[in-house]
Amino acid sequence: MAMELPREFVNLLRRRGVHKVLTTIGDDGFPHAALKQTLQVDSAGRLFYLELMESSVTNRNMVASLWFHRPVSVLVSGTGGVSWELQGRPLRTLIAGPEFKKHYRLAHHRYGAMGLAAVWFIEPLALRDQSRTRRLLEEREAHPFFVHLDRLAIPGQARRQAGKD
Amino acid sequence: MSQSGATDTTTQVISRRGRAKDRLEEVAAEHPDVPRLVILKTDVQRRGVHYTGSALRLLDPSLHQVTGTPIPGSRDGRLRPCPESLLMRDGSSILTAPTPLEEDPYWVDGIEGRLWLRDGGDPIEEVEYWPRPDYYGRLTAKGVDYRHIASARPQGLHISLGPARLDPEDVAEVVGDALREPGRFSALVIIAGSDPRGPEPFDREVDHCIEILRAIGRNFQNPAFPSQLNGSAYSRRQLERLHARTGLMSYTADLEVLDPGLFQRLRPDKARWVDYDEWKRRLVEAVAVFGRGRVGTGILAGMELGGPHGYATEEEALGRNLDQAEWLAERGVTTVFSLWKPPSGSFQGNASLDFLIQLAKGFHRIRRSHGLTVEYGDYRRGGNHPDLDLDRLQN
Repeated sequence: MAMELPREFVNLLRRRGVHKVLTTIGDDGFPHAALKQTLQVDSAGRLFYLELMESSVTNRNMVASLWFHRPVSVLVSGTGGVSWELQGRPLRTLIAGPEFKKHYRLAHHRYGAMGLAAVWFIEPLALRDQSRTRRLLEEREAHPFFVHLDRLAIPGQARRQAGKD
Repeated sequence: MSQSGATDTTTQVISRRGRAKDRLEEVAAEHPDVPRLVILKTDVQRRGVHYTGSALRLLDPSLHQVTGTPIPGSRDGRLRPCPESLLMRDGSSILTAPTPLEEDPYWVDGIEGRLWLRDGGDPIEEVEYWPRPDYYGRLTAKGVDYRHIASARPQGLHISLGPARLDPEDVAEVVGDALREPGRFSALVIIAGSDPRGPEPFDREVDHCIEILRAIGRNFQNPAFPSQLNGSAYSRRQLERLHARTGLMSYTADLEVLDPGLFQRLRPDKARWVDYDEWKRRLVEAVAVFGRGRVGTGILAGMELGGPHGYATEEEALGRNLDQAEWLAERGVTTVFSLWKPPSGSFQGNASLDFLIQLAKGFHRIRRSHGLTVEYGDYRRGGNHPDLDLDRLQN
């Protein structure tokens, strides 16, 4: 059963001005991150992106990930420290057929000379809300020792200790 | 589930298929550096397919490519509307043909509206039929069915010039119309046939290729356009003429078998005009004309194992194939393989899956070590060469 993507994540992905980064792992073991602003969720709830270049490092790594079951990571970051990280795996790629043609037309309209090499579908495996405020709350609750003590001191006392009073 | 009737023969086949599945798993375990999808594709090409009734009910000629007659290499010889071939989820194709159940093919089955490959048990991989090009069903201004001029793969447009001589105007019209379909084609392949006539052998073939390629070229903005000519082994003079007068960007001439004695015995029609060593020399000459990575040869893997004069062992065949491919690669010529399919009922069986995977790895390694690619005929533009699928991780 495929994991259902939460509405907050889908809404963020559809918002204008967000940054979308896809990180893949190369055959040499090195990670490779690339902005993939075409990352989107279709009407059937499937996460996909449009790969514009056949020879891109991401495209090559996606093939290797599909073949050898390596995970990929998607980071979507909006304003105000809002961000989500998704871990997944490439499920399939389209290089022909009616659905490819539909995306090809769109890519041609939007990117002109870039064309379209493939449509990649990513199966979500895990999702994490990394928004700054949420993470701060989580950390304070789960890890009370992970803090500099001056941040916990009574403000006036901290100033006296610093010799300013 | 499958609507195919199970017979005693089918039962026997299923029991053999159980052992065959072990072979796939064994080979996959033996070669963890080769993706299982590539091994599966190779095995499906090797063993062929049987389309179940439920799979054929999912075939829609308004959406899918359909072949009405057995394609070359078809092993069951039956006339009926049949899927042209299959696409996998990694975007590669399986060029395969219907095969009698007695020969232990994979099954293509329709399950809940989707197509799956099966090997005697559970579904093992989802596949799709090849999409139909928009130009299907059209006629040229002179009334020729487009399908008599061009055949389509998921991204490749193939034009075969033999045995019928094609009218360049018809070809130009079909190509022009095919190019109107957005994103449909990224490769143009001309198969020259073999016409040794002319003042110099093959002059007539080269002349015909030139007139066809020049007509096709009228559809493109630039003088050169991504294209491959699969032809006979031409002389330097003929190659230079082709290169100078057309927009052709790559050239292949298939030896089919990498041994002078076997070439003479198995392809006397070719050897009669150009012997093995001269064929190789001409391939090397072609690199000077078209460039490194733009000239290649193909072999039919498994053919060298047949008959009284074939190699005694797969190990011997592998060593010889790789040795010859290395010699060619050192000189800028690439070697790829397609699977040779023994005719139905032949005493010669298929090459083993392990042999084919070792050959794929070997050809891939040789190209990589010499910095060669076959971009004009890769998984997308050709689709018929498991060894080229491995090149997808290398750019």
